Amino acid sequence: MLKEILKNLITRKRTITFPTGFPIEPGQTVKLVDIQGKLDTIFKRSLRIRMVDAGSCNACEWECQALMNPFYDLQRLGIDFVASPRHADVLLVSGPVSRQMELALKKTYFATPEPRRVVACGDCAVNGGIYRGSYAVTDGVANVIPVDAIIPGCPPTPSAIMLGIAQLMNKDVK
Amino acid sequence: MNPALKESRSRREFRNEVYLEYGAADFHDVCCSLVKDHRALLRLMFGTDERLRDGSFRIYAVFSIPGQDRFLIPVLQLGDKESSFPSITSEVPAAQWYEREISDMFGLSPEGHPDTRRLVFHEAFPAGSHPLRKDWSITDEEKAVWGEGRKINVPHPFMEVAGEGIVQIPVGPVHAGVIEPGHFRFSAIGETIFFLEPRLFYTHKGTEKHFESFGFSDGVRLAERVSGTDSFSHGVAYCMAVERMMGIEITEKAAAVRTLGMELERLYNHIGDIGFLCAGTALAVGYAKGAVIREELQCLNERLTGSRYLRGVNAVGGVTTDMLEHADDLLRTLDSVTVEYKSMMKLLLSSVSHVERLENTGKLSRDIAARLGVTGVAARASGLADDVRKSHPHLLYDRMIFEAHTLEKGDVLARMLIRGEEAECSISMVHELLESSYRGGLTVAVKRPEAYASALGYVESPRGSLFYWVMSDKEGKPFRVKLRTPSYCNWPAVPFAVHGNIVPDFPLCNKSFNLSYSGCDR
Ligand code: SF4
Repeated sequence: MLKEILKNLITRKRTITFPTGFPIEPGQTVKLVDIQGKLDTIFKRSLRIRMVDAGSCNACEWECQALMNPFYDLQRLGIDFVASPRHADVLLVSGPVSRQMELALKKTYFATPEPRRVVACGDCAVNGGIYRGSYAVTDGVANVIPVDAIIPGCPPTPSAIMLGIAQLMNKDVK
Repeated sequence: MNPALKESRSRREFRNEVYLEYGAADFHDVCCSLVKDHRALLRLMFGTDERLRDGSFRIYAVFSIPGQDRFLIPVLQLGDKESSFPSITSEVPAAQWYEREISDMFGLSPEGHPDTRRLVFHEAFPAGSHPLRKDWSITDEEKAVWGEGRKINVPHPFMEVAGEGIVQIPVGPVHAGVIEPGHFRFSAIGETIFFLEPRLFYTHKGTEKHFESFGFSDGVRLAERVSGTDSFSHGVAYCMAVERMMGIEITEKAAAVRTLGMELERLYNHIGDIGFLCAGTALAVGYAKGAVIREELQCLNERLTGSRYLRGVNAVGGVTTDMLEHADDLLRTLDSVTVEYKSMMKLLLSSVSHVERLENTGKLSRDIAARLGVTGVAARASGLADDVRKSHPHLLYDRMIFEAHTLEKGDVLARMLIRGEEAECSISMVHELLESSYRGGLTVAVKRPEAYASALGYVESPRGSLFYWVMSDKEGKPFRVKLRTPSYCNWPAVPFAVHGNIVPDFPLCNKSFNLSYSGCDR
């Protein structure tokens, strides 16, 4: 292990090239510098996110998990996922909110200190997505708790999630 | 070779499925004797409400005998006034969850089942309400109460261990990590877990019933969204079931593309899982390496299909894109992945502190694995050579060279090593697939299924064997779609694996099984 670290230090090897931005859809690119600037001013470099799975198929969570891999490395911007809603500024909710998760989601929401923001992540969270109309779901996060921003996609790519977070900040900066 | 079974009321053979209809007492005896005398494996068990067709409920139990490419399916016919059936759980423990689910969904109670609590629905779900009955409905008010979650319509007492020095540790449903929800109740003595009872089905989305509101061709989209990282497997298994039911054969080309997709899915899952285990032992370098390789493979998926989870490729009748066209890209990426993967494994296995934590942790004995019907990586790590690709060849697996690797120890390390071997196997299978060319177009025309036709579809997903069973109604629309994910079989084994381990090792055990909550809860 030590050898590996030393080798990387000496050869200055980088596992992957450091991206400066991510393409989303044609014409839209998230520029890391933009996010960085906002983060510095609004949140003093510390945006804490609590992820809540409210009945998703798990692809949405994996995309959020991917945000923390060395490729996207969200933490270098000062954004991090935290273990408790009590430490969080933002709740990132995925899934159509199954009936059996409704109570847990509400409790998590009320455990988050104000000012809090809620982002619905993925088509399911936005309006129920493919599960819309099933007897066991509530057709979207907005039917359970107030939502401040949405990130469409099934699942949204990691870059789309970054853009969604950036949009949330846009809203607050006005 | 036919096992000597009791004479059935009626017998129907369809491809490799043999349906045998019995009365209640015979059904019980036949199921038990299949397991006891023929060492058959219970693959899945489910109910149907066929009252519209001939006024009866039916319970199907699908068995396969090792070494035979056949499914023996004893069927129990119940009149519409009957409300119970004889439970086989005491003799066939693998049936425990299936029977409880039938009770929740159809209101048919398993007579003699040791655990009569609900499985799927929590306390606030209205009593006496059974969604898969065709005449079922729910009012908005009942839904609201259910969502509120405060009212106790049917109590659900936890199994608790009492005694001096035993503490109860409830965890969840919302967990610390970026993972899915589930509730765990530990009864611990100091740090050691004495007993664990998981409470799942928080993410129950009524998927099986929801399938009935789609057409067969449209249902693929829903099947792909049952469990995120098994999207492709679900797509293939669903399509296979529907195609068999309609009586259509896909082209060799489509089969090749599906085989390729299956192996690519296995690859990114297995390597990602090996890396993810390191998060449980705080080995940050290993975790990062695994995540990078996984990301590279998912980017490859995106280049091949436009989806990082290989969605949108499968369609009833074939596939929509020809992934084999991108052979150059595939080979190039796989070559670099192979190098990185080898260096990651070397790093992990030479790290004593990592291996130490994995060895002898979360042991699942072969006996318990067999009795509970455990499948996939967990079964093979405990010495059961169960692999649907071998036992029931489908797609192009009959011409591929591969082994169902097994290890005896059944601990976290064994499960990691099995994943490693299978990942290497998948890489060589992709190479093998790209060597030849395949006949046929991408899709064939779909047919309208006959009234009440039914069929099984099955694949070996990265997590284990995955089954779909579909039945059409008179109009050729879905009448019943049953799906059984590997996670559903493996969850009951987790409490046995963690027994005697310390609480801090629980995440490690859990990650080594890598079960999908959404796939289990549906
Ligand atoms: S939006 Fe798509 S990926 Fe996300 S939870 Fe729903 S089905 Fe899964």
